[in-house]
Amino acid sequence: MSDKLPVDSKTGSPADDVSEGPTADQDLRQAISILHKLSCSVKKQVLGRDDVIDLTIIALVAGGHVLLEDFPGSGKTTLAKALGEAIKSEESTEDKIFAAFRRIQFTPDLLPSDVTGVPVFDSNSSAFHFRPGPLFAHIVLADEINRTSPKVQSAMLEAMGEKQVTVDNTTYLLDDLFFVIATQNPLDLVGTYPLPTPQLDRFLFKITMNHIDRDSEMSVLETYIDRRNDLLTPEFVTRKQVLSARQAIEDNVNIHTAIKACLVDISRNLRDDDRVLQGNSTRSLVLMLPALQVAAALQHRNFVSAEDIELLLPKVLGHRVELAPGVAGKEKVFSDCMQAPMEQLARSTLL
Amino acid sequence: MNNPASRNTFHRIPGMLRAVIIASAFWALSLSLTVESGSATAVLGCLAACLSADRWVNARPLDQVRLSSIALTTLGFVALTYWLAGLIVNSALMSSLLSPIGAFKTAEALLWFSIGFMASVMLRSLALRTPFGSFLEVLFVATAFIITLSAHRNGMIHRPFFIGDYALIRGLDPATILMVIGCFAVITISALLMVEKDQRRLPYHFVVIALLCLSLIGYVQFFGLPTPSVTDDMGLTGQELSGSRRQRENPFRDGENTSEDKQAPVAVIVFRDDYSPLNGSYYFRESAYSQFNGVMLDYSSRDDMDVDLISSFTNSELSATSMPESEEQHKQVKTTVGMLIPHRNPFGLETPVTYSSAANPNNSRFKRTYDTLSWAPTYNLEFLLGRKAGRESWSDTVRSEYLLLPEDTRYQDLAETIVADLKPEYVDDPFAIAWAIKSYLDKNGTYSLKNDHAYEEDPAASFLFGDLTGYCMHFSFAATYLYRSLGIPARVGIGYSVPASNRAGGSALLIQAVHGHAWPEIYLKDVGWVIVDPAPQKTLVDMSTDPQNELQQMLGDMLRDDTSYTEFMESQRAGLMDIKTLLTVIAAFVVAILCLGYCTRAYRSVAPGFCSTEKKSQFAYRAMLDQLAAVGITRNYGESREHFAMRAAITSPTIQTATATHLACSLGINRQSRSDYWDSLRREVNKEVSENIPGWRRAIGLLNPYSWAFTR
Repeated sequence: MSDKLPVDSKTGSPADDVSEGPTADQDLRQAISILHKLSCSVKKQVLGRDDVIDLTIIALVAGGHVLLEDFPGSGKTTLAKALGEAIKSEESTEDKIFAAFRRIQFTPDLLPSDVTGVPVFDSNSSAFHFRPGPLFAHIVLADEINRTSPKVQSAMLEAMGEKQVTVDNTTYLLDDLFFVIATQNPLDLVGTYPLPTPQLDRFLFKITMNHIDRDSEMSVLETYIDRRNDLLTPEFVTRKQVLSARQAIEDNVNIHTAIKACLVDISRNLRDDDRVLQGNSTRSLVLMLPALQVAAALQHRNFVSAEDIELLLPKVLGHRVELAPGVAGKEKVFSDCMQAPMEQLARSTLL
Repeated sequence: MNNPASRNTFHRIPGMLRAVIIASAFWALSLSLTVESGSATAVLGCLAACLSADRWVNARPLDQVRLSSIALTTLGFVALTYWLAGLIVNSALMSSLLSPIGAFKTAEALLWFSIGFMASVMLRSLALRTPFGSFLEVLFVATAFIITLSAHRNGMIHRPFFIGDYALIRGLDPATILMVIGCFAVITISALLMVEKDQRRLPYHFVVIALLCLSLIGYVQFFGLPTPSVTDDMGLTGQELSGSRRQRENPFRDGENTSEDKQAPVAVIVFRDDYSPLNGSYYFRESAYSQFNGVMLDYSSRDDMDVDLISSFTNSELSATSMPESEEQHKQVKTTVGMLIPHRNPFGLETPVTYSSAANPNNSRFKRTYDTLSWAPTYNLEFLLGRKAGRESWSDTVRSEYLLLPEDTRYQDLAETIVADLKPEYVDDPFAIAWAIKSYLDKNGTYSLKNDHAYEEDPAASFLFGDLTGYCMHFSFAATYLYRSLGIPARVGIGYSVPASNRAGGSALLIQAVHGHAWPEIYLKDVGWVIVDPAPQKTLVDMSTDPQNELQQMLGDMLRDDTSYTEFMESQRAGLMDIKTLLTVIAAFVVAILCLGYCTRAYRSVAPGFCSTEKKSQFAYRAMLDQLAAVGITRNYGESREHFAMRAAITSPTIQTATATHLACSLGINRQSRSDYWDSLRREVNKEVSENIPGWRRAIGLLNPYSWAFTR
């Protein structure tokens, strides 16, 4: 994605020069540079997955979660780990509750407390103390999420939706940066509990990954020793930086009414389409807005444009829209429904 | 567009337009088949059917019904109403309630409403449900107009009369008007078809169809429609011959010459100039048998023979290519001819030189009306004496064609015997020879309608060397052969001969079937074709007719009805625009549209120069897009601006920067942008376009007034 457009292609435009204020402009620039630092450091670790990395960073900054559908050994753990390591917590190690990165391997016999944490009796103080589970981290990799029982799934999903866990009637807040990368294997479905559509709705993106191209695969093989030895990423950003970038982008990237109208029209078209059994929710559009802002910022823009919609819409709506039985080709349905609103959007700029 | 009401209206327009077109096709078809009430209800039924079929055929619950069931139902309904209509006409109750005419009209209205409704339902259902159905629809509309068109061809007057009248008054061919209407209807309905199927590429094919239609109209305008073969009903025997054989009938085998219908009126002539014939008869020439085909004389197949004859009808004016010679011995006589039965060729008082279409004062009475200008002969017989035969401008072949006759030496023998009695000073005089032969036939021939020679190999010889009993065909053929045998160019003239006494002092002359006539004529140098017509002294039949003075006068008055007709013409002209005005208006309209295009284009190109800074990014960017659109680089439907910029960057890389800046201004927080920056971008784009696009492509773009319309 970012290799298609040069990083500094738009910075010279005069529209940026006369921005609303120097501070706002500076904030946004800082946020953009943070995003790029983050993506560069992850891209160093994970090769040939630039599009997935960008989407993951978009979801991270937009406060959503990602569901990856791919094959074992395709680098998703590496991706999650690299992301976790690229974000350093500025808190001191003693009172650090939140780890940078946790991985949960979901199995059928996993219990909710294995995920959330459990109160443990402390004989010294004769009281129960809460031992936080793996969810208390910045980045959580939920591997093969469809292999575990619905009970665990729902505990997981509460955490994702509310950014909190409730154990023994006590609610523990999770980190603001709490970000889940869940995976599921698209082929091996025996003994799984497929996620129902409302639960899928918690994920901002569902990304289906393909195998990386030949050159990338070659360089993965050639550089694996370097990357293994150089595990500590020299470049990293702090948790606070990411949060401030999130705020700056939310404040400074403009979403024009025409963009919102376009989104609404597309989802209306989708709901009206005969080939669609169930259209997307309004919530999905609300969740999409911050993602669009981050995507625009990644492109050095301070406004959301049609390009961002084209990029994100299939990823955001792909798992939320259910096609009628016997209809294949979601891409075709999406592009059909997008055509007229996108035309309207493009024309609106000249009106 | 988001407003559902406005979207519905927008979607209904094509449907309504199509309904109107199909209804008008039905109307055109029903005109000649039913009365006004039937046509009107057919239109109503069709409109109702089209609109309701669009709405219901593919909606519940009708979408469950199979097409074949719909077809059977419609057929059943038509049959039912047919039966019902018959019931209404036949029932005594209905006719006493509504009067017989009213009952008939009601029945027609009912029947045609059902036909219109059911046929349209069928057409629309086919069009909506099957891929080929919409083409059937186009075909139907085309057929309806073609049928109407073919009824009008060759100058025939047919329904709808208001179109025919409008055209004929202005000297136009109604066929052209109908064809234009039909072409428009077909093109429109095809366009609707394309719009609905959303085939955006097809407008190109559509333009090709339009061009083809236009060229068809042009062709008809310049060369006319093919002439249908009309029966050669000269009324020689008072019977109309049916059939459309192009081959001439053997003129001797024209059936039994019964005297029935001899009185039937054939045409009426109104004399506009004073003229009375020399020899007591008005001759109206229609055509001539002049070429010997090995068996007998026939119509000439050569272009350079009989050039004085006019053998086609026209809606404007036709002149003979060859005028009679010796102008001072002819009088120019203007007449108006009203044909009461159809003829293949126009005819006129001998010698007709000009035909021009005339207003038809009563098209239920006259099949065709036209004005003729004739050079009627005023010479006396002395003037003809001492003339040479033939025309100098004739080629040798033409001259020999006029001298061909059957290889039968008896003709020449007989002719020489006749001529032998002439005084020596007249032995070499063609006219004197002709006159002697005519006198011989006058004296020895017997006029009879009995036709004993018809099946002889040469009926003329059988007549001449036999009992000398026959009618005009026999006399004229025999005389012509005798003239030719002595080297005098001769032919058989066909037409009508009316005794001068029939005119009875009025200016109108009625031609009846009995006046159909054939006569021999010879060509005298410096004079032209001179009729030397044998008039047998003995006759076995009474060929006199009752004078029909009243009919003659009535028809003459009708045809002559100048004042009322002029008023009619005036009233028509006052209300409707002249065709020239129409053309001028169309031309002005086209020029205005072109100017509008160029003006808009110019405005869009200079507008960035003086617009406000807020609008600068829009106007300047639009101007750049216009520039790219002019050379054929346009954004596709639904394509984002960034995508387009990426494509266009091959031609003009600057457009990418411009697009980013434009979008930042339009979608971003800040609407301001630097004016000079945009100007420099435009200059860049300009430069890149002229570098990367060939000159001819830019020239075409420059000429196109509506290139900006492709800017999205």
